[in-house]
Amino acid sequence: MSEGWLALIQQALSLLFSLDPDVWAIVSVSFSVSFAALAFTLLPSLILGFLLAFVPFPGRWFATNLIQTIQSIPTVVIGLLVYLLLTRMGPLGDLRWLFTQPGMILGQMMICAPVLIAMSQAAFTSVDKRAWETSRTLGASWLRSVWQICRELKVPLLMAIVAAFSRILTEVGCSMMVGGNIAGVTRNIPTAIALETSKGDFAQAIALGLVLLILSLVLNFTLGTLRGKAEPRSH
Amino acid sequence: MVKVTANNIEMRFGSRLLYRFDSLSIAQQQTVHLQGDNGSGKTTLMKLFAGLQTPTSGRIQAHGFSSSPWWRRNPLLGKAVYLHQHPYLFDGSVAYNLNYVQPFCELSTQEIRQRTSSAIEMAQLGPLMQQQAASLSGGERQRLAIARAWVMRPKLLMLDEPTSNMDILSQQLVLTMISDLKTQGTGMLISSHQSCSLTSLCEQSWQIEQQQIMATDAASPIARLNQHKRELHYVTAN
Repeated sequence: MSEGWLALIQQALSLLFSLDPDVWAIVSVSFSVSFAALAFTLLPSLILGFLLAFVPFPGRWFATNLIQTIQSIPTVVIGLLVYLLLTRMGPLGDLRWLFTQPGMILGQMMICAPVLIAMSQAAFTSVDKRAWETSRTLGASWLRSVWQICRELKVPLLMAIVAAFSRILTEVGCSMMVGGNIAGVTRNIPTAIALETSKGDFAQAIALGLVLLILSLVLNFTLGTLRGKAEPRSH
Repeated sequence: MVKVTANNIEMRFGSRLLYRFDSLSIAQQQTVHLQGDNGSGKTTLMKLFAGLQTPTSGRIQAHGFSSSPWWRRNPLLGKAVYLHQHPYLFDGSVAYNLNYVQPFCELSTQEIRQRTSSAIEMAQLGPLMQQQAASLSGGERQRLAIARAWVMRPKLLMLDEPTSNMDILSQQLVLTMISDLKTQGTGMLISSHQSCSLTSLCEQSWQIEQQQIMATDAASPIARLNQHKRELHYVTAN
């Protein structure tokens, strides 16, 4: 590794450990926006995933495929859609959310929801029907039985949550279009990395990249530990 | 005394008719041996009586059960308990699975505690309590599932092939628990291909044949003949 690279990494680490206000403001925007988007989306998405898995209704096949399609739409296209919704002349223009954190949250919710719905539906579909029947016949209420099913599926459901959170925390397209990359307001980790790299300020970009890398390691190792404990079930 | 009555029932899966019958009922203190070939619909019939499935047409009526809150529409759930042939145990320890029913029992806390320790003793689960339920053998799983139902003291119990693939010890332990429930007044519907110590507890026999269900006295010559034919067929098939 050349000396230039080492110097860059040293600078990046010093930015992180000296609690550089600019770097940590960006980290804070990223996390607050993505956590809010996840929090608003989580419960409705899990309920929809559950209903799609268990409740037969006309158009279920179409709804399932539609959600899977939305899941694969590039984030910049979702950004464009949210931009058009929030622009002055758009249907939600009166909210004045364009280039604000609520606008970014709305965009990230639209990215997060299909991932959560599709992955939770897949998890609920895979559950053993006897788990539901056993819970019900032993006297658990409908809601308590839903909770029990979620408990049985804790690993795949947590994987869905982590996958959705990773997708929104690392997406650039929507945040850039809807947030506008305004320093201290809407500048988050991915948009800042893109900007600093284009400016040639690699130290800050690396520092922010390291935050994402550490987060990714923590989340995946935690999941790995959980998955490791979940031994194959014999029925 | 509680009773579940099924009237004018027709059960279909798509265009396939499983069976059709006018009236059948099972009550507390009644033990019925349910017989029929593979695929004849024994499991479905037990699930109908347990409130887990609804018939294509006809009515299942529950009589004498305590009133349920408005949000629990089906009075049979939690009172007419169905046990799968291969019981499902929740992710967690044996203790977790055994204690799962505690919030849903209509018994006092002290009584639940007493029944739980008696169930552990009867099913010989003591040394296994902290073990993961997923690691139990087939016989241990069945013992745990029956012990879990025994704690509840259900009004009605549907047992789907309860002693299949069990060793002698597990069969004896299960028989003790089931006999005990019978003396406590639990009505039971037991499906089994073969005569065994459990089916000898039954006073009545329901035979599913040619999409009809025939109820006879278990000691009657017709029931004995049917059972004999079934066992011969079962042995030949194996």
